[in-house]
Amino acid sequence: MKRRIGIFLMVCLQLLLLTGCWSKKELNDLALVSAVGLDLNKQGKYVGTFQFVNPGNVTGSFQGGGGGQGNAVSVYSATGDNIDEISRRMATKVSRNLYYAHANLVVISDKLAKKKGVLPILDAFDRDATFRNTATVVIAHDAKAADLIKTLTAIDKLPANKVIKLLRFSERVWGASLNIMMIDVIKDLTDDGKQPLISGFNLKGSSSTGEKVSNIMQSTPQAAPVVDGLALFKHGKLVGWIDGKKARGAVWTLNKIKKTEININKKGRKEAIALEVIRQNTSISTSVKNRTAQLNVRVETEGNIGETKVPVNLKDPHVIADLEKGFEKQVKSEIKAAIKEAQAKKTDIFGFGDAVHRSQPETWKRISKNWDEDYFAKANVKVKVDVFVRRTGLRNNSFLSGAK
Amino acid sequence: MPSFFKKKSSSYNKKTGQEKKKEYSSSPLSAVLEENIEYIKTQTGNSTDIVIRSFKHSPRFNTKSAIVYLKGLTDSQTVQELLIEPLMKSNPAESDPISMEDMIEGYLPLGNMEQIKDWNALFPALMSGHTIIFVDGYSVAISSATEGGEKRAVEEPRTQRAIRGSKEGFTESIETNISLVRRIIQNPSLWTETMTIGRVTKTKVTIMYLKGIARDDIIEELRKRLEKIDIDGVLESGFLEQYIEDQSISAFPTLYHSERPDAVAGNLLEGRFALFVNGTPFVLLGPVVFVQFFQSIEDYTERFYISTALRFLRVLVFFISLIGPATYIAATTFHQEMIPTQLLIAIAAQRESVPFPSFVEALIMEVTFEILREAGIRMPEAIGSAISIVGALVIGQAAVQAGVVSPAMVIIVAITAISSFATPSFSIAISARLLRFLFMISAATFGFFGMILGFIILVVHLCSLRSFGVPYMSPLAPFIPADLNDTFVRGPLWADRKRPAFISGSNNVRQSESTGRPQPEQSSEMVTDQEGDQQ
Repeated sequence: MKRRIGIFLMVCLQLLLLTGCWSKKELNDLALVSAVGLDLNKQGKYVGTFQFVNPGNVTGSFQGGGGGQGNAVSVYSATGDNIDEISRRMATKVSRNLYYAHANLVVISDKLAKKKGVLPILDAFDRDATFRNTATVVIAHDAKAADLIKTLTAIDKLPANKVIKLLRFSERVWGASLNIMMIDVIKDLTDDGKQPLISGFNLKGSSSTGEKVSNIMQSTPQAAPVVDGLALFKHGKLVGWIDGKKARGAVWTLNKIKKTEININKKGRKEAIALEVIRQNTSISTSVKNRTAQLNVRVETEGNIGETKVPVNLKDPHVIADLEKGFEKQVKSEIKAAIKEAQAKKTDIFGFGDAVHRSQPETWKRISKNWDEDYFAKANVKVKVDVFVRRTGLRNNSFLSGAK
Repeated sequence: MPSFFKKKSSSYNKKTGQEKKKEYSSSPLSAVLEENIEYIKTQTGNSTDIVIRSFKHSPRFNTKSAIVYLKGLTDSQTVQELLIEPLMKSNPAESDPISMEDMIEGYLPLGNMEQIKDWNALFPALMSGHTIIFVDGYSVAISSATEGGEKRAVEEPRTQRAIRGSKEGFTESIETNISLVRRIIQNPSLWTETMTIGRVTKTKVTIMYLKGIARDDIIEELRKRLEKIDIDGVLESGFLEQYIEDQSISAFPTLYHSERPDAVAGNLLEGRFALFVNGTPFVLLGPVVFVQFFQSIEDYTERFYISTALRFLRVLVFFISLIGPATYIAATTFHQEMIPTQLLIAIAAQRESVPFPSFVEALIMEVTFEILREAGIRMPEAIGSAISIVGALVIGQAAVQAGVVSPAMVIIVAITAISSFATPSFSIAISARLLRFLFMISAATFGFFGMILGFIILVVHLCSLRSFGVPYMSPLAPFIPADLNDTFVRGPLWADRKRPAFISGSNNVRQSESTGRPQPEQSSEMVTDQEGDQQ
């Protein structure tokens, strides 16, 4: 009996001692990667730029007053033929284990996206056990990915956080950008009825000032990343950009608008009446007949009057109805412009193909191979928009109607 | 955990019973007074606290008598007024000397009196505070119950306080304790059985149960287990607890102890037995189940939503005190991906300057805390506050500023410490306190995987435990839906119709079916309306 207990305890002890904290990684031995940037150099090799967090400089000062004195991040880069090689080569420069679980941003340069596409890159990230496929993907628009990664940002100390939050916030409030996660890109890449659409980022100012702490010491940082357009992809390669109102039209069509603001001209004044969109629902449908496709977009939206620059009688339902028509026209034109641009690039970023797949599965089997070129690009577009003005804000008629 | 080994050594306590009764010579008393007195003197080594008062009663006949009692154990006023006085002043003119029987029947106005013929019975009586009366010429002595002396008064219980409920707590006197419970349950079915345990201490132990509600087989088992005990001394109910437990090498208590008469009464009503031990305010209760350790007496007096919420809180608190530091270790050394980025960065920043792995860090802090806690208990009250200052400064601030530990670790240890105090039963809190270290080791070795392994072992162990044959995890495992009303949730009292299935036997109906949910009688109109109609 005693011997058996003894043996059991010995085995238990061995289990603990021999394994010796199996695959333990202390926090002090980890280099937390917050963002990954990928460029293409002249030799056609990948250049990976990794942003590492300096934890002590991110959080407030509590020990030895370290907070805020140094850079919140450090950036290293390495060159290689594939992502894995870059990651391994990074070991010659970084003293700790690279830890990707908290990398929430992947920046791909437009040059790389144009020449090689995103297909060869994403597999490495998708395959890695620690890298999250919920990481946000953005395309560096007219900038190097490395420069975006290097730029220090104010308010949000982690540049990666800044980019992600900026994207999320602008998607929610302005609607001309999309927060696209890696998993979305991969889903679109494997979907034959939809092509990926990824937000672009530009660097305002020069990269050399952006990487210095002095950049964020000023009240107006000289260099800062800004949201800039949406990148259209086709078969995993960048084929073009849309921005401004067109970009918003694309987001409308994708049913991703949360809130935005529409202006119309009135009484000769440009952008005289503003509508704050508070909710919307967009549905798309496609029908294919006689080798031609018909794309239908139906938008139902509600909003409040946000601003009037000219006196209008908002108590009058006819006036409201008139305004609603104007807003409808505006939204319609934005959506049409976006679809037209996509048609010109022959890439169905909206998922009209998926709509065919759902409604006419047999037809889809036949036409899916050349959907983009033969059907989508030549399709007729029909957009129907329904705008409803829910409220007029705190005032009915503006004081402008009584102003002398 | 060692309950994997079911084969118990059965040689335990086999030869009890035989030599137990063989102390003090079993010779009968002598008829000569001097011989008896002499015998007592030699047997007690002429102890100074034994009072032997010789006198003559019925002076006409020169009958020598003596009373013997222990100073401090007897109520001296009773001895004086009710024994010595009547005996000495009895001066009847009759021709016959007063016989022993006359004394008992006619002279001594005391309640509890009996005749003793054997030294074997005499000494225990004397030692428990009885006064012995010898009369020359009789080989019989009178033993009268004159227990008294200094006792602690009934006070508010120290360890199990309740905001709402009785403020009485048990004392060290077994008679007082039993009476406190009798005052609550005034029913002839409340049976008690008294025995003495302890070869040397002769401690009085009383079993109390409600006849008809408690299971007879459990009471029989308890009796058997108590009879087997043959130790020299029982100083506290904890001594007996260790001898009558089903699983004596488990970290978990399988008997409950309470110093509240109302808690004991409540448990008796559910069919449990209570075991009183002289000299301690802690009364043992059994058989118990795991969930009972998360219940408090005032759960039943509050609204049931609140009680249920509080019980959930206590379970949470138990888990925090069990796996709080282990979770921190596992998350920061194995599963950094589980921590939100901002929090991870904050923790990483704190860890930057700490020279130890998180396990060592946690161990240092936990051990430090245990030291402080132990010191806090042993410290004289006057210095007690010094401990808290040292604790707050040493662990709280200096260690962090010196970069030995991280502030996050201090938070974890603090939460764990508070949690272990918030568990209502000290005996379950102390098991969590010990197991916490095992969980820390398993977390440091295998991360969450190790913790889950630990949990599996723990649950298997808990399910294997029995308390007087009652499964420890019941009514959760085995699952008894009817009993769920009073587990981690506390249903309304009117819905709690039955007593726990395993504990009370066949007589398990607590309230009649008609009791049901109390509500006013159905009426379509409001009371005020009716009054209005009448006018």
